[in-house]
Amino acid sequence: MSPTSSEPVALLRQVVKRRGATLALNGLDLTIRPGQCVALLGPNGAGKSTSVALLTGRLRPDGGDAFLFGEDPRALAARGRMGVMLQDAGLPRTLTVREQVELFRGYYTAPRPLDEAIRLAGLEGLERRRCGALSGGQQRRVQFALALAGRPDFLVLDEPTTGMDIDARRGLWTAVRAEIARGCAVLLTTHHLDEAEALADRIVVIDHGRVIADGTPEQIKSRVSGVAIRCRTRLSDAELSGLARVTGVSRDGGKVTLLTTSAPATLRELLARDETVDDLTVAGASLEDAVTRLVEAGAAASQPQAKVA
Amino acid sequence: MHTLSVYVREMRAQILATWRTPQFLIPSVALPLLFYGVMGLGLSKGREEVAHFMLANYVIFAAIAPAMFGFGAAVAAEREARLIELKQIAPLPAGGYLAGRLAAALALIAVAVALLGALAWFGGVRMDGWRWAATLGLGLAATFPFAMIGLNIGLRMGSQGATALANLVFLAFSLFGGLWIPLSAMPAWFGKIAEYTPSYHLGQLSQMLSGVQPMADVQRHVSILLAMTLAALVGALIAWRRRAA
Repeated sequence: MSPTSSEPVALLRQVVKRRGATLALNGLDLTIRPGQCVALLGPNGAGKSTSVALLTGRLRPDGGDAFLFGEDPRALAARGRMGVMLQDAGLPRTLTVREQVELFRGYYTAPRPLDEAIRLAGLEGLERRRCGALSGGQQRRVQFALALAGRPDFLVLDEPTTGMDIDARRGLWTAVRAEIARGCAVLLTTHHLDEAEALADRIVVIDHGRVIADGTPEQIKSRVSGVAIRCRTRLSDAELSGLARVTGVSRDGGKVTLLTTSAPATLRELLARDETVDDLTVAGASLEDAVTRLVEAGAAASQPQAKVA
Repeated sequence: MHTLSVYVREMRAQILATWRTPQFLIPSVALPLLFYGVMGLGLSKGREEVAHFMLANYVIFAAIAPAMFGFGAAVAAEREARLIELKQIAPLPAGGYLAGRLAAALALIAVAVALLGALAWFGGVRMDGWRWAATLGLGLAATFPFAMIGLNIGLRMGSQGATALANLVFLAFSLFGGLWIPLSAMPAWFGKIAEYTPSYHLGQLSQMLSGVQPMADVQRHVSILLAMTLAALVGALIAWRRRAA
């Protein structure tokens, strides 16, 4: 790593933020360095959007510090190095895609060429269309173009692919990877764990306004012991958690996911207790299993933050 | 240099966006023309002094709606559509967005006022060149107090509430300011309320500038207008900061 890479792009230090009666952030620490892609994961209300709002200067911390390129996130110079894609920002209905992207390019001192921003966001052929006439997915792509327009050193992507079709999603991933490759840091929040796994080299799981896990996707997954068994069963959650070696039970629709330290031991008991078991698969725990498990464990024990690696 | 170009681009974009909203553009320009055509020219039937007097009032009237709706209530709508948030994050200087919107309102009002002037001229109104410039110029300058009052509404209320309240204030300013019907034709208590509206003071100044009323009390009218504009500006700044906090 080059010496400059030790200077954090974005920094939250012991941040406390109250929103109404609830404590949205409770001593949160987060450091993002150049070229890093950090995925911020956690259940709804964990403090993801508050963290994003603090780093983009829309909120000020009640306690602790927020820095963007070593400055107040509201400083014009710091904002000039950041590109942001908000979750539900609007577009002016009567301006064309080209005019809107051109307008945002103008805010930055060394912007990307217009055609490049249009191409990276997959908007070729839509330049002359008015923003009001675009589909939801197309509007998201315009938002992405606006985020890229200034050739940022820090890209904030808040649920970037919501409403996008598969092609658009892959296109965005490719463009984000290229940004990371040229040294841009990325903060990603997403509900799609596959997206976090595809892009992020670091996963930060937060809950109740604190970091409960922080590490590479592999480290996060390894925190969950072993193997995931997925199946349909008529056993109750209580019965399932009583099975040998089971460390976690979660349900998704009709299917159950059992986390276990020994698949053979658990399977023998499961099959003996319920002969109707169906749709059975056994696989290494996914990132989603790991995050779910970490959040559950955090809620149950509400232990102080545990750090990986 | 960069900052200047950002302001210019923002203004251009806002003017373009306004221009492409005919459902707002046409009433803003057509309403004062229509009212003046009927009440100022039609009813005066060749009595040019009436047409002259009414022109002074209608240049102020022409500024109210675009300033309050185009500037004020539109901010509420854009805030609700979350258009402003991204601009507050992007490296656009804080005043850039508002300057852009103000430029769009000014451009629209300039068109409305210029057309009113042309209509009056064809209707037989004649005055010195400087009086033309001063009267129409005051109509344009009237944008500022109304825009600042509208901005307070736009920043403090939701889009629907802002439109409703802006409508109410627009009607009150026009009526109590004596812009539609001269205050002399109204009961005395109208005049008392009029003192509290910027439209009344602007109307008085406009009549003086266009020469239908002798110059009097200019300093009082101007200072009241400045105080109102300044108070509205401070109120808007507080609301803007609270939104940003």
